[in-house]
Amino acid sequence: MAAPNHLQINARRGSDRLILELVGELDLFSSSTLADAIDLHERAGMLVLDITRVSFIDSTGLKAIFSARREAQARGEQFAVTRGSPQVQRLLSLTLLDEHLVTLPAADAAESVTAEDGAAAGSDRA
Amino acid sequence: MSSVETHRQPREPGEWTGARPAAASGADAGGTPRARAESRDWAVALLVETGAVLSSSLDLATTMDRVARLTIPALADLCVIDLLDDSGTIAEIAAASADPALAHGLEAMRARFPLDPGGPHPVARVIRSGEAELRAEMHADLLRSFAQGSEHARFMIENGYRSAVVAPLTARGRTLGALSALRLTGSEPYTADDLALACEIARRAALAIDNAQLYADLRAVEGRLEAVLENLAEAITVIDAQGRTVFANQAAVDLLGLGSAEDLAEAKPGEIMARFRVLDEAGRELGLSDMPARRIFNGEDAPPLLVRNIVRATGEERWVVVRASAIRDPATGAIAFVANVLENVTDVKRAQLAEAFMARTSRVLASSMDYGTTLKTVAREAATYLADWCAVDLVGERGAIERVAVHHNDPEKLALAERIDRLHRPSPSAQTGVPDVIRTGKAVLFNDIAPEDLARYARNDEHLRLLTELGARDVIIVPLAAPTHALGAITLVSSHEGRRLTEGDLDVAIRLGRRSGTAVESARLYTERTRIARTLQRALLPSLPDVPGLSIAASYRPAGELNEVGGDFYDVVGCGGERWMLVIGDVCGKGAEAAAVTALARYTLRAVAMFDPQPVKMLHALHEALRQQGFGEQMCTACVATIEPFGNRARLTLALAGHPQPLLVGPGDSVHPVGEPGTVLGIVDPVTVREIEFELRTGQTLVMYTDGVTDAARPDALETAGLERLAARVGGLPLPEMLAHIERSAVERASGEPHDDIALLAVRIAAPDDLT
Repeated sequence: MAAPNHLQINARRGSDRLILELVGELDLFSSSTLADAIDLHERAGMLVLDITRVSFIDSTGLKAIFSARREAQARGEQFAVTRGSPQVQRLLSLTLLDEHLVTLPAADAAESVTAEDGAAAGSDRA
Repeated sequence: MSSVETHRQPREPGEWTGARPAAASGADAGGTPRARAESRDWAVALLVETGAVLSSSLDLATTMDRVARLTIPALADLCVIDLLDDSGTIAEIAAASADPALAHGLEAMRARFPLDPGGPHPVARVIRSGEAELRAEMHADLLRSFAQGSEHARFMIENGYRSAVVAPLTARGRTLGALSALRLTGSEPYTADDLALACEIARRAALAIDNAQLYADLRAVEGRLEAVLENLAEAITVIDAQGRTVFANQAAVDLLGLGSAEDLAEAKPGEIMARFRVLDEAGRELGLSDMPARRIFNGEDAPPLLVRNIVRATGEERWVVVRASAIRDPATGAIAFVANVLENVTDVKRAQLAEAFMARTSRVLASSMDYGTTLKTVAREAATYLADWCAVDLVGERGAIERVAVHHNDPEKLALAERIDRLHRPSPSAQTGVPDVIRTGKAVLFNDIAPEDLARYARNDEHLRLLTELGARDVIIVPLAAPTHALGAITLVSSHEGRRLTEGDLDVAIRLGRRSGTAVESARLYTERTRIARTLQRALLPSLPDVPGLSIAASYRPAGELNEVGGDFYDVVGCGGERWMLVIGDVCGKGAEAAAVTALARYTLRAVAMFDPQPVKMLHALHEALRQQGFGEQMCTACVATIEPFGNRARLTLALAGHPQPLLVGPGDSVHPVGEPGTVLGIVDPVTVREIEFELRTGQTLVMYTDGVTDAARPDALETAGLERLAARVGGLPLPEMLAHIERSAVERASGEPHDDIALLAVRIAAPDDLT
């Protein structure tokens, strides 16, 4: 069956990080595209998924984000995402996965402040 | 030498009569030198005759010979014409005399003692200077002075050379040679008038020689041109205004599949074309008037034309680009001929068509899992592109060979082909045809099938009759190849009308067979896998138990037909005593694997419910189970509640793990989402889940749902707010109807093809007479 792929991934490199900008839908059909993109690019100390322009995520997409996170952590890298669309944010809060993600105001933003916020939010709920 | 014959009329140009022209005076006809000197009428007649001789289209040597003879005896006793060739050598081309021995003797002299072009001989001098010479009286000393040696001198003296005029053969400013007229002892010496006459004859002869040389040069150029044309890879034909092919090089003969160029030249207009079916790219038959050459003669534009020629006799197919250009008559400017350059683009065109064909059929094959339909389309495409008819056979479940598609370009013959198949299904064990190809997996091409071959193949007379009527000249059978074995075969047949099937077609057919085989195989696998997954999922959907005091309903609708089975599940089990567990969940992913994880989730929750019936504990247990199971990372959302009816109400404890909040509907049209958001299970540690407790009263309904209902807010889907409004509206309906409404609404919003499964589980306090 032809799998419609509505996801485009733009990679760019910050001073200390690899930024993958995801544009489109992250779902059952496109999750493997993200995994491929992560495999493809040379790594930096930090991996940022810029999900600002992701219009839709389903459960498979969530899984893909957390696969990326686990892989980054296994390599000793930091992992962060940007704030997503209302739908994405709602899904992340519905599943409480937002508590497990460092969320940056922008892909290039320094991660220290928000990382603490994220960690604080996580521990607060725990 | 001076014998007189009577004058005959009419005379052929250049025919030697041996007579002095009749214009000479009286019956005596000027037979004496004196007489010819007295009248110049014969001179005019001589010039007229010379003109006639020169305008005849004989070869140069013959023409010059006749010119020389004309001068005998009126102007000369001996006439010699010498030419200067390209190498600068002077060579005699014609000699005439009343006594043939003299002319032969002269020829022998010239052969043995060629004139020195730089020497003193008058001929050499005249050729050098271009000026005529008159030697009225030549004595022996003079003759000796320009002789090419003593033998030559002796020849001239002994034959009585007396008087000579030597006139240059001059044309277009070039002296080509010289005409020498000689009178011997006994004849009058030459005068200036004779010299003028000789010069005039020489001038005319020179023009003829020049023309002949030009013509010879032209022939040489034409010969070279023809050699070039013959050896050109491009086929070239030249057509005249009557439509006859006046020239065709070897490439054209080969390309048009003709016997020879002569064959072509002798053909009547239109006859050549009648040997072909000439089609345009779209398959439309073309006529003579469509051909560029004809269009040019008709004064129309003639852009290059791509034609498909099929030789009627052999079925050979050629794709040819025809470019035509006019050849105009230089004098009148009218179109004399049209030259066609025929470019054979068969290979390129075939490759292009094959690619387009493969792309088209691949698209068809990929468009649907319903291979019965796609193979019919493939058969139609193949018949159109490759042959006249195409059939696809598959090996059925019990080994029988079943025809799943057949197409014939001729609708009448389609019925015939179908009839043959119905009446004469091949036996799977047959050693020929489709069964053989399926068994061996080897493609075959048969060309020019003879009637006796057909007779051998046919199973009986009736079969043979039908096959003959259907008409088969060439046949290709290729396996419908899956990786390990042939699933069936594709048969392509071209009739006697159609084009010949080639090795190239065989290659295309083999590729088609492979691609079709793969499509059929994956469709079968997909259908099989879907069937297994759906069976599994149905098995996982429980029948709901009767719970005293509660009415419980559930509904489940799998995702659209083309989507794989999802991982939604629900369950209602007793936890012992009055307490029951209600659960609804969604395993991330699709297909058999999701179904397997769904089973794991359901049985894990059931097991925990039996001995520790607290939602939070159940969810933690499920999380641990997901973390430890062997399918790789699995994610699951769930809403778990325990319910314990008492009196006309029920106590509920509920926890969520990444799952949408259930709706508490009623009383009336009030709707409240309930539950604390909790972490989705299976992918992060630690999970945070919290219980809430509340009472369910009469007139209230708790509606638990999976995100297929809202489809996680796909733009076109029912949103949470929309669901809440809908639930409020239908909250008063009996439970099954209420759920049916919600489900239908969600399906409609997803345009009838929900991306995800839709599961609903609802519970309310049973009315005394409500047993659902």
